Amino acid sequence: MDSELLSDTFVELADTMVAEFDVIDFLHLLTDRSVALLGASAAGVVLADPRGELRVAAASSEEAGLLELFQLQNDQGPCLDCFRTGRPVTADDLTGPCQRWPRFAEAAARSGFRTVEALPMRLRDQVIGALNLFRAEPGPIDPADLRIGQALADVATIGLLHERNVRRREAVAEQLQAALNSRVVIEQAKGKLAERLSVDMDRAFNMLRDYARNTNQHLTDVARTLVEGDSADFPPPAQRPPAQRPPGRSAR
Amino acid sequence: MTDPRGVVVWGWLAAHAAAQGRRVSLADVCAVAVSSAELTGAWLAVARGSGPDFVMCVTDPSGEQLAELQLMLGEGPCHDVLASAAPVLAADLGDAEFSRRWPAFIPAARQLGAGAVFAFPLIVGAIRAGVLGLYRGAPGPLSDRQLGDLLILADAATVMVLGGVHGDGDSDGDGDGDGDGEAGTTLNGQAPDLALHRAEIDQATGMLTVQLDVSAGEAFARLRAYAYSQQRRLADVAGDIVARRLRLDRDPGQDGGP
Repeated sequence: MDSELLSDTFVELADTMVAEFDVIDFLHLLTDRSVALLGASAAGVVLADPRGELRVAAASSEEAGLLELFQLQNDQGPCLDCFRTGRPVTADDLTGPCQRWPRFAEAAARSGFRTVEALPMRLRDQVIGALNLFRAEPGPIDPADLRIGQALADVATIGLLHERNVRRREAVAEQLQAALNSRVVIEQAKGKLAERLSVDMDRAFNMLRDYARNTNQHLTDVARTLVEGDSADFPPPAQRPPAQRPPGRSAR
Repeated sequence: MTDPRGVVVWGWLAAHAAAQGRRVSLADVCAVAVSSAELTGAWLAVARGSGPDFVMCVTDPSGEQLAELQLMLGEGPCHDVLASAAPVLAADLGDAEFSRRWPAFIPAARQLGAGAVFAFPLIVGAIRAGVLGLYRGAPGPLSDRQLGDLLILADAATVMVLGGVHGDGDSDGDGDGDGDGEAGTTLNGQAPDLALHRAEIDQATGMLTVQLDVSAGEAFARLRAYAYSQQRRLADVAGDIVARRLRLDRDPGQDGGP
């Protein structure tokens, strides 16, 4: 465990949370840092939608194979078990015969993952989701790493419920739906940008996130503006082909 | 896992509509929402802009008054759900938090006999279609199961509003009645397909706004209409669009739309 990286990460996450922030961008940062800190290959935050499914809110990669692994866990897998029991669920070697989740284990192994952890996101007596970690090396996770992983899952919970009055139990459900819808807005914007600029979804996501950061806007707001409007301001002029500038007008 | 909950809830809608001898409509959504979550009444308002615009259907006079009241006052849970893109679950209107939030609406709503108001936005990402509002005379929370079912019913209503289904079980220019063997399993030419959520559906919707040069709401409706006309699963069609194996044509007639 790199203790400097650990302290930097918590400072960074805490810094984000004292200001206004975009919840999906925050969860995305958290999955990126989970990968770096815990020697994981990939990480994702999966939320429990009361409609009766687990939905990914953020992942360290937008790669389709990884997203499919989260999707699969609606039938079987560590996140489903974690959500049902409210306890951490780990599997040390997915390449062996896996009685618990044969379909999930096979798909995970195909993506090059040997071990998986699902750490519960708890609020009082409710489990609202899980932090899902995938690693390429077999073997049990270091107990110290597991504790840090759980702390990151707890930070994800706090971030998700930010600036909401969670005195009312209902406020948790309201905030969860807002986060899930934000994710949908971002997916719609990724599609629009991918089609307009002929780039892939991963690249479209990074462009959206970079633009939001560079212009000090929330990721969801940038995505919403793009989907709703004719979005004349996106992509920003610097990223547009020069041919789109109206002729006969000098740039200022 | 057993049947996705969406399939179960859709079954209720289909059964309710069949009992009235008509196709599934927004009126069924309101009625099923009230009975399944043990509520007193419901209303459904559609949105053209950022707030609710007009009331499409109601289950009872108090429900109608609660809906109209919010339009008149320009405040209340139905406005907030569209602004925050999240449900508002006001389980006890006596809670001081709500009087501060809606100073004009709360006393009037309590006068009308509402103890709890629950409002669900009819939204898909950046697409806003309206609001499903519900009230109960007695205060008290929804169970997790009721909450999940109401979210699914709001999704069904969103699909209907975006697909042009009206409140009374009939719709524009759709005169083919409900005598086809599929009544109850289709929705005015749209497969209900309220099964598991897939990111590809949202991505494909975004791509179609550019391909078809339409709003996101229209892109969403065209995607569903295409999947239905081809008798294919929505997620599969969306997957083909995202993988760039399929493009839809700007003229709906060309891609097999209605």
